[in-house]
Amino acid sequence: MRFIGYSTGAIALGDFSRALNLLGAYDFQAIELSALRIAEVEPLLSALGNLDLKRYKYISFHAPSAFREEEEEHLVGLLSKLPEAWPIVLHPDAIYRASRWTSLAPRLAIENMDRRKNTGRSVSELKHVFELLPQAKMCFDLGHARQVDPSMIGAYQLLKAYDERIVQLHVSEVDSLNRHDVISRAAEMAFSQIRQFVPKSAAVILEGRVLEKDIGREAEKVRFILDGNVQSEHAVEERQKVSAISVVRQ
Amino acid sequence: MEVRGVEDLAIQVGADWPFILKGRENSRIEFDRIKEACKALVMPDTSLVVFGSLARGEFTDGSDIDWTLLVDGITIPQHLTVARQIAEELAKLESKPPGRTGTFGNMASSHSLIHCIGGEDDSNTNTTRRSLLLLEARPVGDDEAFNRVRNNILKRYLEEDLGLWRTSTVRKIPHFLLNDFARYWRTMAVDFADKQHDRFHEGFALRNIKLRLSRKLLYISGLLACFRCQLDFPDDQDRIAFFSRGNSVEVASYLRNLLDKTPLDMTAETLTRFADKRTAVVDLFGAYENFLGILSDKAKRKHLEDLTPDQLETDAVYADARGISHRFADAVKTIFLNSDNPIGDLTIRYGVF
Repeated sequence: MRFIGYSTGAIALGDFSRALNLLGAYDFQAIELSALRIAEVEPLLSALGNLDLKRYKYISFHAPSAFREEEEEHLVGLLSKLPEAWPIVLHPDAIYRASRWTSLAPRLAIENMDRRKNTGRSVSELKHVFELLPQAKMCFDLGHARQVDPSMIGAYQLLKAYDERIVQLHVSEVDSLNRHDVISRAAEMAFSQIRQFVPKSAAVILEGRVLEKDIGREAEKVRFILDGNVQSEHAVEERQKVSAISVVRQ
Repeated sequence: MEVRGVEDLAIQVGADWPFILKGRENSRIEFDRIKEACKALVMPDTSLVVFGSLARGEFTDGSDIDWTLLVDGITIPQHLTVARQIAEELAKLESKPPGRTGTFGNMASSHSLIHCIGGEDDSNTNTTRRSLLLLEARPVGDDEAFNRVRNNILKRYLEEDLGLWRTSTVRKIPHFLLNDFARYWRTMAVDFADKQHDRFHEGFALRNIKLRLSRKLLYISGLLACFRCQLDFPDDQDRIAFFSRGNSVEVASYLRNLLDKTPLDMTAETLTRFADKRTAVVDLFGAYENFLGILSDKAKRKHLEDLTPDQLETDAVYADARGISHRFADAVKTIFLNSDNPIGDLTIRYGVF
């Protein structure tokens, strides 16, 4: 059984307390505490002792997606205070000097990037990051991978190259403006095509901004996409048959 | 020794193919020059893509640079400006501009490349760009748009090929893809005649030799990529399991990796592994080496470019080039049109009718 849950940022951007309260109504086993802006890190760290996280079997922390170089060392120091068992999700393009992150490397989960970025999107671009931080793990963002290459060949290649590093998934629709949204039918079909290559041990974190009433339904949708069943495969097959063209000499 | 490409093959058979090696080195140097010159020009959601001898790793001093600015995203007027700036930068490098058909040296949109495969909207230019994007193309700089478009084209060919996924189909040949490669090969041959008509035989001899060798090799490499789907899986059950609908992304990735190889490498690797025809294989590459030798000789290349049809019968340089093309054709025939080897068997079965 996969551990599944949400990023607090998806439920209530910049308000982890509210997100945790809302998520408390559900039986999720995983959570990602999100501090996407550097100003959010210290308040979240300060509050950790008061948060009820006992119910979660998997907890990760999303480091800020951008910061200034002069803040990097301080940020590493702050993140090192997190419990050692928590993976720290980090965008590769945010790193200024990899050597500053070496002490945290075994706890880092480097995330594959979206189309806005000019690095960290593909196997070859991430190879360089993992060469600098060989002990780092990976957070595989399905939405980013699909946005970069909707054929999902790029996603497959990332999974094949780095499957042993992957500790966590990010799952959401990522639109052309790079917004994380609820998963569309097209994304569902695309994600389904690679589910067999997704490590079963990786925790699943939903990142799409959902309405409160849709929290449970969206999580069920993701579970359905990743675990699949006969009915969904049949539906995909039928759709592909309808759209298929005749091919000479079958 | 496992042969992964033409350089490995040369070592294995003890052959000396300096023009093939020189073509690779020239391509590396020219590629880096273009990358440096254009690095600030290419915008997000676009890739600068080169085709032809540069992409095949067969670049010579006389080679032109076939390129396109591939656009895969929101289309904006600035794309044309960028394409013009690329042309200017390449002109500064004193590189030979693309031919006059308009297929290269400008922009190409991903939409028609992905959506118009066959049918009335699939123009000659679209077919050419799409086929070459799969068979002989290299991105210069950011490869994101290039990979995305190429992967999506490939997925269309594969996912819509119903026979490929049918469990009762034991032989796995991607027919949609193979038929389009075959169509493109015939298109090149017909366009050769059309150019002859339009250009009053200008450049006939050089185009003729290229058609007989480099264009034919391009088709061969596409054919072999399709055949590998069968040849790489000797066990029927393994093959049927791999080519299952639920595994379509892995299949597409597998074929993409094959198509990433240059035509020379693809041909060398596949013939070494699956055609027990050492003499013919050596002859094939030996002829190609001689062909590149002629193209690398500025005087001979110019001579062939300027030949008129009435000079062909008596011209020594053309006779030499034609002799090379005959050796190449004989080697191709020995391998591909004999059912005594798996590649010949597949060619006879699928490559003609």
